[in-house]
Amino acid sequence: MLTGGVRGERRVGWSRYSSRTFYLFVSPWVLGFLLLTAIPLVYAFVMSLTNFDGSSDRWRWVGFRNYVELLDDGDAWASLGRTLVYAAIAVPLSVAGGLGLAVLLNRRLKAVGLFRTIFFLPSVVPVVAMAIMWKLVFNRDAGILNAAIETVGFEAVTWLVDPLAFYALIILTLWGLGGGMVIMLAALQGVPAELEEAALIDGAGGWLVFRHVTVPMISPVIFFQVVTGMITSFQILVQPLLLAETNSIAEVGKVPQSTHLYMVQVYQEFFASNRFGYGSAMLWVFFLIILLITLAVQRSSRLWVHYEVDNDADR
Amino acid sequence: MQTGNRRSAAGTYLLLMTLVVLFAGPFGWLVLAALKTPAEWAAVPTRILPAVPQWDNFVRAVTDINFAAYTLNSLFLSTLYATLVTISSAAVGFGFARLRGRGKRTLFVIVLSTMMLPQILTLIPTYVLFSRIGLVNTYWPWVLWGLSASPFLVFLFRQFFAAIPAELEDAAIIDGCGYGRIFTLIFLPLSRPVLVTSFLLSFTWTWGDFIAPALLLDIDHTTLSVAITAWYRDPHGNAIPTVQAAAAALYILPVLMIFLFAQRYFIRSVVTSGVKG
Repeated sequence: MLTGGVRGERRVGWSRYSSRTFYLFVSPWVLGFLLLTAIPLVYAFVMSLTNFDGSSDRWRWVGFRNYVELLDDGDAWASLGRTLVYAAIAVPLSVAGGLGLAVLLNRRLKAVGLFRTIFFLPSVVPVVAMAIMWKLVFNRDAGILNAAIETVGFEAVTWLVDPLAFYALIILTLWGLGGGMVIMLAALQGVPAELEEAALIDGAGGWLVFRHVTVPMISPVIFFQVVTGMITSFQILVQPLLLAETNSIAEVGKVPQSTHLYMVQVYQEFFASNRFGYGSAMLWVFFLIILLITLAVQRSSRLWVHYEVDNDADR
Repeated sequence: MQTGNRRSAAGTYLLLMTLVVLFAGPFGWLVLAALKTPAEWAAVPTRILPAVPQWDNFVRAVTDINFAAYTLNSLFLSTLYATLVTISSAAVGFGFARLRGRGKRTLFVIVLSTMMLPQILTLIPTYVLFSRIGLVNTYWPWVLWGLSASPFLVFLFRQFFAAIPAELEDAAIIDGCGYGRIFTLIFLPLSRPVLVTSFLLSFTWTWGDFIAPALLLDIDHTTLSVAITAWYRDPHGNAIPTVQAAAAALYILPVLMIFLFAQRYFIRSVVTSGVKG
């Protein structure tokens, strides 16, 4: 494209230069990917074939014994089940809530910017501060939530133990749905107004237009939200650790059972039981499960995601 | 019609105000807790306001633990990572946007897939690996992470650079510029808003990160995020929620300031990744 009128041999030289420069420019990422993603993953796989305890040098190879043991590990599967339930509740609610807020704010309202800021803000709050804040809100005796519940005439409840700890975790997650709202808001503003107006003139009601015009138009964005939301939910670890009534994260055993999600279980195998080999096997199985679920969701997207012609495809 | 509209507008505002209470409430409760005496905090029935604001909680928050040192650690680590990762991601993004090479498409697909890879999966084995080669209790992991670019930021830069018209670099090439100078003299200055976005985002990531410093750094090297979680204790070893609340308020202050003054940069990042992706 930039060599119109230049002789062929210079074009070859230039393209060689350009390709060498390309590798030079992307090399930080390539090296980083190999050193800090690929090697750790391979290393975890190697560890998963041993009974390494994290420190002593007297480990030995155990083949696939860790994986065989995992098949029979009721605690691990229970934690996986809880993680899937958590994702199945938190992701749809976050996405629907983000979309709902976006629709609410995608109108001519006074102070709309202020509302957007307030709803967006929680999503940038660091997880540690989030946990400290919500522990104060959820506190049995001194928390504002129980105070509100008692004011309207109900009994105070204990939020941070079983079984309510699970719902407390969901509430904490939903509090951060403002990031999704901002994405949805931008997507809604990208829907051509003529399209919705035409449907309205044709006599479709507001809900029908939303359901059959607006939602299909922004379905790629909804899909993206679902996928990233799932990945985030699967790897959740710090929130259950910090919400638990522990004095340090080393006391992973004090995490209530209902929020004892898969990564908490992995963390416990590594750092409470010093079973680095077994924990690594758990990581690898999880890696494969996440891969499968993500691929399945990608597949399903063909059925419900509506893509415009991608004008960026040739870049 | 007129009154119906007005009624629905009133309903909308009522709903919005309820949501404001739900979203802003925890911030308010944190600040109130930070201003109470322990007795007021534990009072039954619950007291909303402290009789006298206990500013002393903030004094204790910064003196009970070595708050200044942890703040410096956090600041240093966040600035270090944000600077390195912004430069490396800009370079990689430029490569993917403007240069050609065999395997470019495949590489870019890998970049996008690693965005989907849960980081915790690699973090634990990385920690084990780093502890074996002596990188634990140093800041070298953050240097390495910074130098190796972030897939998310690479994508952000790539989208921006890809939209710049080709005439600009054609002219520079005719003038005899190599890509190194095209990148540093033309594209980097043009990308100032993305540079700011990238820096602020990666700064707040590191400032807010908990699990990496918790795994990799000991009590002397660790960051504020780890320090405030567990170390506010009375002599009997019981947690002091009021002082911890004050510490948490101080800890999120920089993030809130950055967010309030630079909200459009945050919005740009989520929108680029979520809508144009």
